[in-house]
Amino acid sequence: MDKPDQRWFEADLATAEFRAGALKGHWGLAGADVLPQQPAWPARVLWMAAAPRPNAPDRYFVQLDLSNYRTLPPTGTFWDPSTNATLEVDRRPKGRSDSRFAKVFRTDWEGGRAFYHPYDRVAAQGHPDWPKDQPSLVWDSNRTIVDYLEEFHSLLNCGDYLGL
Amino acid sequence: MTGEGLELYIHSQGAKPKIAVVRPHEVLRDVLVREEIVKQGQDDVLIFVGEWEEALSEADEIDDGEDKHSPVDILLTVEVLELHRHRHVHVHKCKRVAVEVNFNGQTKRHRFSPATTIAVVTQWARKKFKLDGAAGAEYVLRVCKTDKQPRPGEHLGELVAPPACAICFDLVKEITPQG
Repeated sequence: MDKPDQRWFEADLATAEFRAGALKGHWGLAGADVLPQQPAWPARVLWMAAAPRPNAPDRYFVQLDLSNYRTLPPTGTFWDPSTNATLEVDRRPKGRSDSRFAKVFRTDWEGGRAFYHPYDRVAAQGHPDWPKDQPSLVWDSNRTIVDYLEEFHSLLNCGDYLGL
Repeated sequence: MTGEGLELYIHSQGAKPKIAVVRPHEVLRDVLVREEIVKQGQDDVLIFVGEWEEALSEADEIDDGEDKHSPVDILLTVEVLELHRHRHVHVHKCKRVAVEVNFNGQTKRHRFSPATTIAVVTQWARKKFKLDGAAGAEYVLRVCKTDKQPRPGEHLGELVAPPACAICFDLVKEITPQG
């Protein structure tokens, strides 16, 4: 039987918000075309589309640890489905120097295993001041995977994203 | 799509969007009644289809412009309304949502269709305040006097509760995580 966190996640994949974004090509669960099967719960591999940049992919994959979803935020980073491993740093998306993009996707913190953002569990737990500093981005049980995907999809499609 | 059914996303005020699976010959009113979005005989709501982006082509010098998005006749079928193309259906009492965006001591206004996403309003506001391009990437909309920053995919119609067909935003720079 599925666990409660897995049931929540799968229910959120079936919502209008997730499916409408998937229909627009903004995001999705990694399919059999790139991944023979999804990893065991609580891990899942998803992708987010990125703005066109020379010699850069049109989407990036992330592997997320969704333990205690929605009570706790996901954590994870960019993933390479071809090697089934964390995406090498030189193949990760790069942003304009000193931009919010560059800060969120920094690789010089926690070995690049998590995003430097309040929607990432590792980052949020390590920064107790963030809820006060960024009250609009506090993760609570009303947040869903769509909040997560919209946040990072927006970054991957903003003017500060430079490509690889 | 489920079998031969078409998946529609139905948005209404103050509620999360719902999925309805429909057939081409179905009358939109019957779909909305079946999904308990409207009651049989209810005639105090307007129905819009699609997602509206007209404001993005508005000339910079226009102030308080208005979208031209027209409500549809819900006695028409899914096929005639071309919902296979539009996908989104908005049920609302407001024909337009009057939006004010404040930035740097100035205010810009536009009366948007309720079927407009926050992503479009944000893009419109950045353009109006000459923040488009990379410099504007970090500016987002926050509902005035709150901490609420709506998601880019939310629609204006989901954020306003009639009889108030208006909403105020501040255009703010997203905080860069520190520490």
